[in-house]
Amino acid sequence: MSGDGGGRRRTRWAGLVGLSTTRLWKRATRTTAGRVAATTGAVALTIALLLVVTGIALALAGGGAVATDDAAVRVAPEESGTLSAVDGVEGPRLGATNERAAAIRSRAGVEHASPVLVETVQLETADGDATHVLVVGVVPDEQPRTVAGLSTDSLESGDPHYAEGSYDGPRTGELVLSRDAAERLGASTGDELAASSVRTGDDAPSFTVTAVDAAADGRDADVPVALVHLSELQSVSGGDDGELADWVLVWGEAGAAESAAADAYPDAAVASERGVDPAALFDDGLAFATSAIALLVGVTICASFVATTMGMTVDEDRRTLAVLEAVGFPTHSRLAVVAISTLVTTLCGALLGVGLGVAGIAAVNAVAGATVAPGTVAIAHPLFVPYAIVVALLSGLVAVPYPLAVAARTTILEEVSR
Amino acid sequence: MGDEKVDRNNGSSRRPLDRVESVRMIHRSLRNTFSSTAGATDGDDSTAAVRLADVTHEYGSSGRRFRSSGERSVTALRGVSFEVRAGDVVGLSGPSGSGKSTILHAVAGLLVPTDGTVELLGTDVTALSDRERARLRRRHVGIVFQRFHLLPSLSARANVALPLVQAGIPRSRRRERATTLLEQVGLGDRVTHLPGELSGGECQRVAIARALATDPDVIVADEPTGELDTATGADVLEVLTDVGRDRAVLVASHDAATLAVADRVVSLRDGAVVDDER
Repeated sequence: MSGDGGGRRRTRWAGLVGLSTTRLWKRATRTTAGRVAATTGAVALTIALLLVVTGIALALAGGGAVATDDAAVRVAPEESGTLSAVDGVEGPRLGATNERAAAIRSRAGVEHASPVLVETVQLETADGDATHVLVVGVVPDEQPRTVAGLSTDSLESGDPHYAEGSYDGPRTGELVLSRDAAERLGASTGDELAASSVRTGDDAPSFTVTAVDAAADGRDADVPVALVHLSELQSVSGGDDGELADWVLVWGEAGAAESAAADAYPDAAVASERGVDPAALFDDGLAFATSAIALLVGVTICASFVATTMGMTVDEDRRTLAVLEAVGFPTHSRLAVVAISTLVTTLCGALLGVGLGVAGIAAVNAVAGATVAPGTVAIAHPLFVPYAIVVALLSGLVAVPYPLAVAARTTILEEVSR
Repeated sequence: MGDEKVDRNNGSSRRPLDRVESVRMIHRSLRNTFSSTAGATDGDDSTAAVRLADVTHEYGSSGRRFRSSGERSVTALRGVSFEVRAGDVVGLSGPSGSGKSTILHAVAGLLVPTDGTVELLGTDVTALSDRERARLRRRHVGIVFQRFHLLPSLSARANVALPLVQAGIPRSRRRERATTLLEQVGLGDRVTHLPGELSGGECQRVAIARALATDPDVIVADEPTGELDTATGADVLEVLTDVGRDRAVLVASHDAATLAVADRVVSLRDGAVVDDER
């Protein structure tokens, strides 16, 4: 008996869902297309806006100017993401990196390993033009590698100044400038640049520009970056005390590189993923704040739209609810019809919004590329699809009490007597 | 077991007599389906399908919480008593405001009178909760409104099948049942039409088919021909009385032609029965 009752209940619920969706479909295509389109469109636009803003935040989080490299594996301290060029907040660093990178380098399957240190350093030309540049310290080898979007090709192989940890070897003084940094400094190949940080006093070490390199993918076009030998940067910044670096990059076969990196740094995060990880949003203050505000505003606006339009729809629809009551639908079934209609409309809006959002991100990139900021300023991610649906459903759930309240206030006799 | 009979009763090309017989078989099978879970006692020949005993109703005297104290109440029914047996077509006559619709609403459980009892198949409707009344209405009462009250965004078939959704009948059987009923009221070629694509008479026939969907014991019709011209109204009444055989039918109207189909007419004035012509 209970099985029969359960089956009947399931059939009833399936019927209610079918009734609600059929009604909605017929209204959208035949009877009241305008109202349904307005609700769906409002949800879609809100979701699209949310995705565009989140895409921009994701690009902020993942697109630090120094994050572009061609390594197979990146070892970063736990609880730290890539260092963002936007807020420049310094996170935890790895220690004894020169030594451990050498150990990783000696493993089979590993082509090369290099610690990478990122410091903001003021570079000054002989003419007195000075600007702050993100200087990236790296240990190059014979092969040209890309670090921070710049090629190591113009740097002498190895790191002679390191001298087995004594930091008294000969300085090469070589420096590769990004095109943007060169433009800001007005420097070109062969120019001398003086580097000063809080630690260097009057004896600011000088570097010679060996190359001006275009960015690897244009993403760092608005951030001045320079590439130097690691130990020379460590000496400038004070990183030589603990052989500090922000991360270690490992080139070679991914599996071997990963296990070598994990052995050398058992407590650090070893990432071989080369895409932008949405989790980076949580590591970057500005990006996280941007996406969180977008979420809050998105849910609020979306819920307001849905509540208003569905409330108006239900208000016009009181007679239908009265008919449902007359043919024996109890209150919970009538409210279920309203709730299902609201949530299905919201869901359709969300799916449309995902499409619009992805198109919006492409449009933002196109507009930015054509005007102020060449390169990717917003990134779409597959996780945006479930994200948009969950946000829309959340908005629908926030909104649903209002149409339900309107529906619950319907008096059947007033409606059927009209 | 009876459910299987429903599946075998289909086909629009058979002779009318066959069709009527098949509809009766469906009725019997549905009656079996519903009676197994019905809360009310099924009426037998000796029991009235509907019994009103000393029913009084005042609008504005109950219900809403925030009603202002200065609002006046209107007495719609005063000590109304009568009964309707299965197979009877009873007309309710009287001028506007005489209480005809209020009686129908009370019988259908859409309102609870302030005093007196309304029995439907032996169950006192006034003692039930909202949910129980909705269930009783779904199983035992079919309502036909003056203005049809079809859902504009559902096809004729989906409108007829509406009460079966809440009854938990599977989709295929809902469709089959609705199609058969539409054929029975002469709308076999209009099953997928929306109400906006049907004439007034056709809409009312769809409404009658909907009222029959759960094979109810009682049908209440409030001015069923009020929106129709004379000829269409006559057609609709023929359908209503034809399908209403073996059921208790209550028809409220102030149209003499409509009341002429009734076996008996209860006349009302100012909420009270002034004549119960047998």
